[in-house]
Amino acid sequence: MSSYQPGSVQTRPYIDPTPLPDNIPKVQELGLSSGPLKSAAFFIGAYCKDFNEDFMLCKAENRDPGHCLKEGRRVTRCATDLINKMRENCLSQFQEHWNCLERNNQEYYLCRKPERSLNACMFEKLGLTKVIPGTPEGQKPIHEVESPIFKAIQK
Amino acid sequence: MPVPWEALIPFGLVTIMFGVSGTLLNVSTRAQNLGKPVRHNIDNWDEMMMRRDEQLTGHKRGQRDDPTPRAGFETSSVWYTEKTT
Repeated sequence: MSSYQPGSVQTRPYIDPTPLPDNIPKVQELGLSSGPLKSAAFFIGAYCKDFNEDFMLCKAENRDPGHCLKEGRRVTRCATDLINKMRENCLSQFQEHWNCLERNNQEYYLCRKPERSLNACMFEKLGLTKVIPGTPEGQKPIHEVESPIFKAIQK
Repeated sequence: MPVPWEALIPFGLVTIMFGVSGTLLNVSTRAQNLGKPVRHNIDNWDEMMMRRDEQLTGHKRGQRDDPTPRAGFETSSVWYTEKTT
């Protein structure tokens, strides 16, 4: 074993540039990266609830990648629509919030102040509120608690 | 009686060495993460999202705001391959 042994894992990334076949309708993918997406997550949940639920129920039947393409296209279109509306109306608060998330390991609890201003702007302009599903009854959702236990060190 | 200032030199040295190495580590990690603090407690979801960020922006910590991705984004995912022959 003193000669060079090529390994089995490839060194070059294998990328397949073949596009989808023409019989599938084309939808522009959402080009948002992880920070802005996390910032907009609850609003996408509020705005696109029906399409998201359709897609998830459809996928629950069959996890094959080619199965739920139609519902997937609807989800993408709805999310793109919401992001365009968000950027039109609340761009500065949105950028403030996702920049804060990026500086803080993408944790929500460290960025409550920009989050509050973004929630206020979204409610005023688009009528969307952030709702945490699964909050126990009678308990205030964690993003509305005035003085939480887990918080950022500086005010 | 004069203050034994030579005895404080090691304290000073140790403090400076801790400070310099900590600063260098901080600068190095921030430079690798585009000026942002390093991400910790990364799970599989975060790793997948960072891979997607790399496809979108070219860097694992790069972020973009624009809903329209760059031209070849849809077909730019990397397939994990292994040579079996």
